[in-house]
Amino acid sequence: MQHTHSRPQTRPSLGHHNWLGLKTLYIREVRRFSKVYIQTIIAPVITTLVFLAIFTLAIGKLRGDINGIPFIEFLAPGLIMMAIIQNSFANASSSIMAAKMQGNIIDTLMPPFTPSELVIAYSSGGATRGVAVGIAVGLAMTIFVDLQLQNLLYILFYTVAAAYMLAMLGIIGGIWADRQDHMTVVNGFIITPLSFLSGTFYSIDRLPEALQVVALFNPFFYAIDGLRTGFTGQADGPLLTGAIVLICVDIGLWLICRRMFATGYKLKA
Amino acid sequence: MSLAPTRPAQGRANLRGMSTLYVKEVHRFLKIFGQTLIAPIVTTVLFLTVFTVAFGTDRQVAGLPYIEFLGPGLIMMTILQNAFANTSTSLIQQKLNDNIIDVLMPPLSPLELTIGYVLSGATRGLLVSFSVGFALWLIIPFNVHNAVFILVHGVGAAFMMSALGMMTGIWAEKFDHVSTVTNFIILPLSFLSGTFFTIQRFPETLQTLSHFNPFFYLIDGFRYGFTGHADGSVMIGLGVVIGANLAVWTGCFLMFNAGYKLKA
Repeated sequence: MQHTHSRPQTRPSLGHHNWLGLKTLYIREVRRFSKVYIQTIIAPVITTLVFLAIFTLAIGKLRGDINGIPFIEFLAPGLIMMAIIQNSFANASSSIMAAKMQGNIIDTLMPPFTPSELVIAYSSGGATRGVAVGIAVGLAMTIFVDLQLQNLLYILFYTVAAAYMLAMLGIIGGIWADRQDHMTVVNGFIITPLSFLSGTFYSIDRLPEALQVVALFNPFFYAIDGLRTGFTGQADGPLLTGAIVLICVDIGLWLICRRMFATGYKLKA
Repeated sequence: MSLAPTRPAQGRANLRGMSTLYVKEVHRFLKIFGQTLIAPIVTTVLFLTVFTVAFGTDRQVAGLPYIEFLGPGLIMMTILQNAFANTSTSLIQQKLNDNIIDVLMPPLSPLELTIGYVLSGATRGLLVSFSVGFALWLIIPFNVHNAVFILVHGVGAAFMMSALGMMTGIWAEKFDHVSTVTNFIILPLSFLSGTFFTIQRFPETLQTLSHFNPFFYLIDGFRYGFTGHADGSVMIGLGVVIGANLAVWTGCFLMFNAGYKLKA
């Protein structure tokens, strides 16, 4: 007996984008974290405010202005960026990790997504959480700090570039990790130290000469410095270089993520 | 034929069972020592770096170089966070995995359960504090002003947090609940009770409130043991530490005794 009907195409139309699927996966990613907003949005806001309180109380007025800016106004943008960095990373990595552990990652690999679509949906989901936390932290801080929007374009660019950078790093981390352990190690030994030491709490000219040079190769530093410039108008490092570095890193990570999904590295048997 | 009694001797302590529970709990965290022992060291050294760089090395707090003021606070912070994390995550995980029954079925009395769990959580807190203390000792000069205070406050803090973690683990129904308590209560309290600064920098009302905060006395007394400087009264502190311990141990005992949220 012959099949009179060809099988329905799983991919709406080959060569075209699967917009519906992309949107669905993105919404799934956003719902995943917004359902537990107390852990994913409010807790980071509290942690960041606690940091603000500690530094203001411990250092506050004892410390003179940094680059002509009161310490607390210098600190606030750094803390906002720290929150963006940590949460974008956490979202993408934990989503993929949890799906792998529970064996339901297959539900996102089976539908007709191209690797690029998977990267877009996952990284946008992570970036959304990072930006959401960043905004929430920024709003909460306006109660205590006089935050000024000196340059909205900088704020927008560095927020989005950093959020995507970390979300894609999270995708890579989540795919690479075999156990929750590995994730904690990446978080504790790479992401947290980089987000703490890249000028969040101090201007890099307080560092020894050698470390200042190292900072200029650190994309986290450019992300923090750029966002701070958007709020205070004072930059520590070269801004244009920073923007180029972030764009290049984002493109590089994009290619790596896409490659990982395309080859099925640690995802497909 | 009657059944062999499961409890070795009625009325006597089941020491073997208690030590088995303790060893099991210690193995649980040692197996993932990267997360439980090494990660806290990295975090603490990070805090030290960030504060020294941002603050400057030449500053004085309460007549002490800032770094010497900070050191004991950081060690105490790790004890508080790790002792709490151990018991709370252990219990909630067992509840979620439905294997808490393996701990409740054996012939262990509520007191034995309390002791086994509290000691294991305290062990983690103290082990981490030793490794953190050692790492800091390589960087900061440490003096010992009064070893008794270091010991009492270190062990007292570990016991108290371990017991609090247990109560949280028993009370919590989802992992979320444990994270909420950690993020909204334990973390802010361990950060804002004088770890990084003297409470004299607080506004008046908060200073007064701090004198009702057991975390403050733990940190203050511990620091006194190292530096000889205390913000509050060390004798009241000693009393608060002992009183708080009695209260939380009793709380744990009562919870196990009643089977609160553990037995149907």
